[in-house]
Amino acid sequence: MTEKWTNRILLLVALALAALYLFPLYWMYVTSLKTGSEIFATPPGMVPTNPQWGVFAYVWELRGMGRFLWNSAIIASGTMALTAILGTGCAYVLARYRNIWIDVALFLVLMLQVLPASLMITPLFVGFSQFGLLNHPQLAVILAVTAKVMPFFVVLVRATFMSVPGELEEAALVDGNSRIGAFWFIVLPLARNGILVSAILIFMQAFGEFVYSKSIIQAVELQPASVGLNAFMGPNTTEWNNIMAYATIYVTPILAIFVILQRRIVSGLTSGALK
Amino acid sequence: MTIRFGLLGALALASISLLSLGAAVAQDEVTITIWSLDDANQPALNLAREFDELEPGIKVEYREIQFDDVVAESMRAFATGQAPDIIAVDNPEHALFAARGAFLDITDRVAASDVINPDNYFAGPLNSVSWDGKLFGVPKATNTIALYYNKDLYAKAGITEPPKTWDELVEVSRKLNDPANNVYGLAFSAKASEEGTFQFLPWAQMGGGGYDNINAPGAVKALEIWKTIMDEKLASPDTLTRGQWDSTGTFNSGNAAQVISGPWELNRMVEEAKFDWGVTLLPTETEGGARSSAMGDFNWAIFASSKHPDEAFKALEYFASQDDRLFPEFGQLPARSDIALPETGEPLKDAALQVFVEQLQYAQARGPHPEWPKISKAVQDAIQQALTGQQSPQAALDQAAATIKGILGT
Amino acid sequence: MNRLLSGLRDGKGFDIVLVTVPLLFLFALSGLPLIYNVVMSFQEVDMFSLGTFARPWVGFNNYIAVFSQPETWPIMRNTLVFVVVSIAGQFAIGFGLALFFTLKFPGASYIRGLFLASWVMPGLVVGAIWNWILAGDFGVLNYILKSLGIISENIFWRSDTAWSLWGVVIANIWNGVAFNMILLAVGLAGIPRDLYEAAALDGATAWQRFWTITLPMMRSTIGAVISLGLIFTLQQFDLFAAITSGGPANSSNVAQYWAWEQSFRQYDFAKGSTISVVMIAVVLVASIIYVRSTRHEVRG
Repeated sequence: MTEKWTNRILLLVALALAALYLFPLYWMYVTSLKTGSEIFATPPGMVPTNPQWGVFAYVWELRGMGRFLWNSAIIASGTMALTAILGTGCAYVLARYRNIWIDVALFLVLMLQVLPASLMITPLFVGFSQFGLLNHPQLAVILAVTAKVMPFFVVLVRATFMSVPGELEEAALVDGNSRIGAFWFIVLPLARNGILVSAILIFMQAFGEFVYSKSIIQAVELQPASVGLNAFMGPNTTEWNNIMAYATIYVTPILAIFVILQRRIVSGLTSGALK
Repeated sequence: MTIRFGLLGALALASISLLSLGAAVAQDEVTITIWSLDDANQPALNLAREFDELEPGIKVEYREIQFDDVVAESMRAFATGQAPDIIAVDNPEHALFAARGAFLDITDRVAASDVINPDNYFAGPLNSVSWDGKLFGVPKATNTIALYYNKDLYAKAGITEPPKTWDELVEVSRKLNDPANNVYGLAFSAKASEEGTFQFLPWAQMGGGGYDNINAPGAVKALEIWKTIMDEKLASPDTLTRGQWDSTGTFNSGNAAQVISGPWELNRMVEEAKFDWGVTLLPTETEGGARSSAMGDFNWAIFASSKHPDEAFKALEYFASQDDRLFPEFGQLPARSDIALPETGEPLKDAALQVFVEQLQYAQARGPHPEWPKISKAVQDAIQQALTGQQSPQAALDQAAATIKGILGT
Repeated sequence: MNRLLSGLRDGKGFDIVLVTVPLLFLFALSGLPLIYNVVMSFQEVDMFSLGTFARPWVGFNNYIAVFSQPETWPIMRNTLVFVVVSIAGQFAIGFGLALFFTLKFPGASYIRGLFLASWVMPGLVVGAIWNWILAGDFGVLNYILKSLGIISENIFWRSDTAWSLWGVVIANIWNGVAFNMILLAVGLAGIPRDLYEAAALDGATAWQRFWTITLPMMRSTIGAVISLGLIFTLQQFDLFAAITSGGPANSSNVAQYWAWEQSFRQYDFAKGSTISVVMIAVVLVASIIYVRSTRHEVRG
C-alpha cells in the first residue's frame, strides 16, 4: 500500500519536474499558434487567444518539409553509421590498454573537436573544393559531421567499454577465440546499450547540424531541414510563428521516437552478465 | 581485313566529327549563376527564371542564400574560384568587394546601355554602387526608416500632430509613456549590430555629422537624446539588444506608442495592428533643419571572375527594366526616382508609402567604404558604451571618431 | 608477412588498425582545419587569400593586437565564468535527475526521455525561445518571478550589463541538462544492483552508498561528461547570438562568440583564428587533465 503511494508521489514529482523543464518546449508550441504581434505583447499570454492551427499545414507546404526531413534523415543516418563503424573499435582499444600511446591517442581525439563548426567550415570548404567533393555535397557533409561528432562518440563509448570487465574477455581468449572473435561475440554485446545510446545521440546531433550543410550543400533539393529553418529569417523580417511551427514539426516526432527508444535501451542493462 | 579497318576508321572519324560539331553547337549555350537572398515570394528568383526563358542561349542557375551568409559565402567562393556570375549584396558591403577589384567595373557598359541610366537612381543607392568614380553594380531595391505612430494613443494623450524636432519627439514620448499600462513612448533599435548603426547614422547626419565625423556636436547631441530616452525609460531597456523587427512587434501589440522602422513592416502592421496608425518623416534637429535617413536593401553586382560578363550584364539590364514591377508584385521599393508607385488600395499602407518615398530623397548610403564593417563597429561600440552609462556620449563618440580616423587613414 | 596479417586478426595489428584508421580520418578532416586556423593566426588574411596557405607572415602581431584590446580580458573572464557555472549547474541538475529516475516507479523511464527535448531542438529555436523567455518586458521569466513575489521590477536579463551573462548561463544550463542526465543515467544503470544490496545489508546509509559505490564506479563516465561538457560549452554559440549578441557593451561576450564576430562580421579572419587558438590552448590544458585523470580508472 505504501509503495503505491510512494510511487504516486514520485510520479507526480517527476511530472512536475518534467513540466518545469519542458516549459520552453511548450512555449515553442504556443508561439507557433500565436499571431505575429501576440508574441510581443506585454504581459505574455500563456495560451494563444486566437490559435492559428493552419500554420502547420502552411509551413509544411511552403517549405516542402517532407523532402527536407528526408535529407536530414539521410545525413544523420550516414553520420551515425560512419561514426559507429570508425568509433567503436577505436573506443574499444582506448579502453583496453593504458600506456603512453593510448594517452596520446585519447588526447588527440579530444583536442581535434575543439573548434566550433563556424571556424572549421572555411578550411573544410577549401579542402573539399580541391578534391571535388563539393559535387557530392551530402557525402561531404557526412564526412565533415562525422569528424565533428566522432570524438564525442569515442569518449562515451570508451566509458562504456570500461565498465565491461576484462575477465570476460580473458576468459573468451583462453577458450580459444581470436581477438576479433572475443571483441565481436563477447565484449560488443555487453557494451551494446552504451553504444546504442551514444549512436542515438549522434543521430540527433547530426540531424540538427546546419553550419556545414548551409555552406556545402548549395542545391535546395539536397538541403536538410535545419537549413530550411534558416530561410525564414530575412534581412529585416523574421517570421517567428512560422519558424516555431516548422520547429514543432521537426522536433516532435523525433522526440517521441527517442523517448520510446531510450527507455528500452537505458533501462535494459542487466548486471546478469557478471554472475 | 584492311578494308574493314579502313571502314571502321572512316566511321570513327565521321562520328567524332559529328560529335564535336554537336558539342560546338551545344557550347553556344551559356550558363550564368546568380546568388541572392530572395525566395519565391520576392523578385530575384522570379526575374531570374523569366530571364532564363526569354533568352534561349542563356541558362540561369539560381541559388538562394541567407542574409547573414552573403559576404562569407562569397569570399569563400571567390577564394576557391567558384564565385557566381551575379550576386545581390547588401549595400554597405558593396565597397568591400568593389574596392578590391572583386566586382566588375561596368561603367562603360552602363554608358552604352539603353536600359540602365544612372540619372534615374536616387543619390544614396547610386553612391553605394560607386567607387573611385566608377560604377561596380546596379541598385536592386531600396528602403529607409521613418517614424510610425499610433494615432489612437495620440488622440488619447491629446497630441494633435507628430513631432517635427528631436526635442518634440522626447516631449511626445514622455506624454505617451504609460508604464502602468505597459506602454512605452518610443521603440527603436540600438543593437550592437549593423541595425544599430543603421538607426543612429541618420540622427548623426541630421546633426551635421557623418561616419567620418561621428563626434560632431550635432551627433553628440543625438546620442545624448538617445541616452535621455533610455534613462527615462521612454523606450524599453531591451532596445540595446533587440532588432527593428522585434521592436516594431511591440508597437503592433500596442506596447509602444511610436516606432522608428522601415517599409518592410507595412504588410505585418496592416494585418496585425488593431489601431489607427500613420507614418511621418524622421524628426530633425531643429525646425526646418537638414533631413537625412538610413538607406538599406541590396545591390546587384557582377563578379570580376565571371566568365560571361556580357550575358551577366544582359541579365542586369533585364532586372532593371522590370523595376516598375518591384512594388506592385513584391512590395519592395525600387531605387529609382523615375518610377511612381501605384496605389495598393490599402489606405494606411498608401499613406505610409508616400512618406517613405519622400524620405528616400534624403537617404544617405553608409560609406561607401571597403572597411565599413569596422567603421560600423566603432559606432556600435560608442552607442553601447554611452547607453549603458560606461562612457559619456561625448567621450564615446570621440573614441569612435579616433578609431574611424585610424581606419580611414586620414 | 604472415605474422603481420595474422597480427591483424589476433594481436597488436588488430588494435593498431582499430585506432589508426579513425585517427587518420580525424586528422584529415579535423586536424588539417585546426592547423589551417593556427597558421592563419600568424598571417595577414583577406578574402582573396582564404584558399591558400601562402599569405604574408606577421608573427605574433595578431596576438599582440588581440591582447592589447581593452575588451579582451573581460571577455576571457566572462568565458571562464560562463563555462564554470554552466558545467557545474548542468552536472548537478543532470546528476540529480539521473539519480531520481533510478527510482523505479511506473513511467519513470518515459518521463526521463522527455528531458531529451533540449538535445533535439535546433539551436536556433532554443535561442529564440529563451530570447522571449528572458525578454525584459514581455518575457515569461519576469512574469513568473513577479507573480511569485521574488522580484518587484522587471530584470532586463538581455540588456542589463549586470544580468546579461547570467541570462545566457540559465539558458545554457537548461540546454545541457539533457546530455548530462542521459549519460549519467547510462553510467548509473551500469552499476550492479547487488553492490548496493550488499552495502545496505552491511548497514551503509544512502549517503555512504553514494560516496563509496556510485561515485567511484561512475568515475570514467563523470570524467567523460565533464570534459565533453567543457568542449560543448566552449562551442555554445546559438544562445549568445539569439539572446544578447554578446551585449550590451560586451558584458555577455565570450571567446567563441567574439571569434565568430571577428571572422564573420568584421571579416578579420586572422583575429578570429587568433582568438580560437587561445581557446584551443585552454582546451589543451583541460584535455591533459582529463587524460591524466583517467589513469585512475578501474576497468570493470
